[in-house]
Amino acid sequence: MKTLLFIMYLCLTAPSANEKVNGEPEPPQGMVYVPAGDFIMGSTYGDPDERPQHIARTGAFFIDKYEVSNSEFAQFDANFNFPQGREEHPVIVIWEQANAYAKWAGKRLPTEKEWEKAARGTDGRIFPWGNTYDETFVVWDLRHPRGSAIAKPESPYGCFDMAGSVWEWTADWYKPYPGNDVPMKEYGERYKVMRGGSNFNNHSFIRTTHRYYVPPHTTARYPVGFRCVKDID
Amino acid sequence: MFKSILASLFVFLILSFSDSVFAQKVNDFPQKTDPLHIKVDMYDKLIRGNHWNEGTIMQHVIFPPAGLDRPIVGSQADCLDPTSEMLAAYSHKYFVTKDPNARKIANQIFEGILKLEKVTGVPGLVARSFNKTDKPLWHEKVLWYPMEWHWSTSIPGYRWLGDLSADKFTSIFYGVGTFWEFCADEKYKQKAANLLDRFLGRIIDNNFKLTDLDGKMTLWGNFCPDLPHQALNSLEMLMALKVTHRITGKERYNAAYHMLIDRYHYDDHQLRSKIIWPEEWRNKGDDYHAARSLYMLMRLEHDRSLMIKYKMNLNRHWYVWQNHDFSFEDDIWFIMVYQVLSGENVLTDERKQVIKNMWGFERRSKEFKIPTEAGFKIVESEEEGIAAAMVRNYWFGRHFGMIDPAW
Repeated sequence: MKTLLFIMYLCLTAPSANEKVNGEPEPPQGMVYVPAGDFIMGSTYGDPDERPQHIARTGAFFIDKYEVSNSEFAQFDANFNFPQGREEHPVIVIWEQANAYAKWAGKRLPTEKEWEKAARGTDGRIFPWGNTYDETFVVWDLRHPRGSAIAKPESPYGCFDMAGSVWEWTADWYKPYPGNDVPMKEYGERYKVMRGGSNFNNHSFIRTTHRYYVPPHTTARYPVGFRCVKDID
Repeated sequence: MFKSILASLFVFLILSFSDSVFAQKVNDFPQKTDPLHIKVDMYDKLIRGNHWNEGTIMQHVIFPPAGLDRPIVGSQADCLDPTSEMLAAYSHKYFVTKDPNARKIANQIFEGILKLEKVTGVPGLVARSFNKTDKPLWHEKVLWYPMEWHWSTSIPGYRWLGDLSADKFTSIFYGVGTFWEFCADEKYKQKAANLLDRFLGRIIDNNFKLTDLDGKMTLWGNFCPDLPHQALNSLEMLMALKVTHRITGKERYNAAYHMLIDRYHYDDHQLRSKIIWPEEWRNKGDDYHAARSLYMLMRLEHDRSLMIKYKMNLNRHWYVWQNHDFSFEDDIWFIMVYQVLSGENVLTDERKQVIKNMWGFERRSKEFKIPTEAGFKIVESEEEGIAAAMVRNYWFGRHFGMIDPAW
């Protein structure tokens, strides 16, 4: 009887198939877990559209460890071509393609909030790894595959290349943060926000708070890729 | 008789409006065996004939039928690099020859840079390039960042390209600074001072950020002490402040220079402008901006402790430059700059021969994929690169006694 009770106890307390021992859900392959809660969003030192710095909140979600690669995207779109040897390079696509891929994969594009939280955690850091910069912390240029930074720094939740490599699409339109009082004619539902910067552009754009805007039907010649998120049931 | 004159006039008009007649105004190319001064003179004529756009010099020109009957930019949408090179070239030329025509041309090029500012409608905001046109040009959509082209609100009928970079920032201080130093008369010295005052003043007002029309920092315009930026950008900003203080005499720029050094240690940060290892990260393009910055900065700095640091930076570059294979048009200029700044005689016979062998561009035909409303059409057309760096190298070398006029 005691044994039976113990087995019942184990069944009730043991982690389920997608749950870790510490209570966190087990992420699907290639993804990491970001818990629900508050974090510091925006900055006081960046562009006017990063202001005001404020406390934002997300639910819990999973997010891809790496940007989606060429070979992964080709599984979704059989007509997608890329140079041989670039299987592991991040894919560069327009927002509409990124969104379609995410749906096909049973995922979705991250909101700006989710992207920023996954990149900087809760402590308001400038970069995914902290507040200092070194060239070895980022994928040097577009000739290199994803995850090839020399120092291989992770974000607080275990994501790679959220600074540098390619820009990354988010789900959101380019709109001012609540309380922002600097008008921009670009705000509205014409442009999607991309994050994370690209090494081809200036280092300061790899800050976790930087926002840039591009129409969803073009990359406008910027190297823009994406990573996906997945809701937790 | 009257009919015959009319017919001739008609033919003349037809030819005049035909793209192929006036597209390539200059078509005489030098031979590789020509003496250096002949090659330079012919490339100079090609540049001023085919690349001249209201004083600015277009880097890469596409001719009709893909282009217009006046220069339009090609895959490199900027004009500030070659414009500043030609401004420097004519400034050195005037210094050497005292030819009033050289000064006149330099003045016209400087006016072109002023127009790059005027066309934006924002004092101190300088465009990468402009085109006089009543409609967007096809290359805007495919050859650069299409969102960065704007209609001018200050000069109707013009479109201009924004998102100015740290590279073009450097071009402005290098070109205008050289013009001020060696060529400009009193009137133009004042115009040059006013331009740099507006341009750099606006950047300082924005906490050392080069901001664009939308109020955001441009994608390559970060010199801000509160934001992480490349070491090269620290060097470029120190140079800009030093040059502008020298030219305007305004204490504001001297104070900013010392603030960035004393409080933010830009003098230490700039030491790492040259990435030496890993070897694949070495970037000759960045070296060009470093070379121009060090050339302008080191001739104006008299503080011994700062000069030691700038010399260290120069030496880090020289470690790599001395072994370059001269495949890049500015390789030989790096050698000349090092000689001017170090005082060492590094012009070996081999390097002198490289100077004598300097060569510019060759025109070539290319197929252009031009977007239309119905898709794309393929148009074969001629395009032409530029030899502005070569012309500048020549007059720079003449100015500093490194090139014999007989070569």
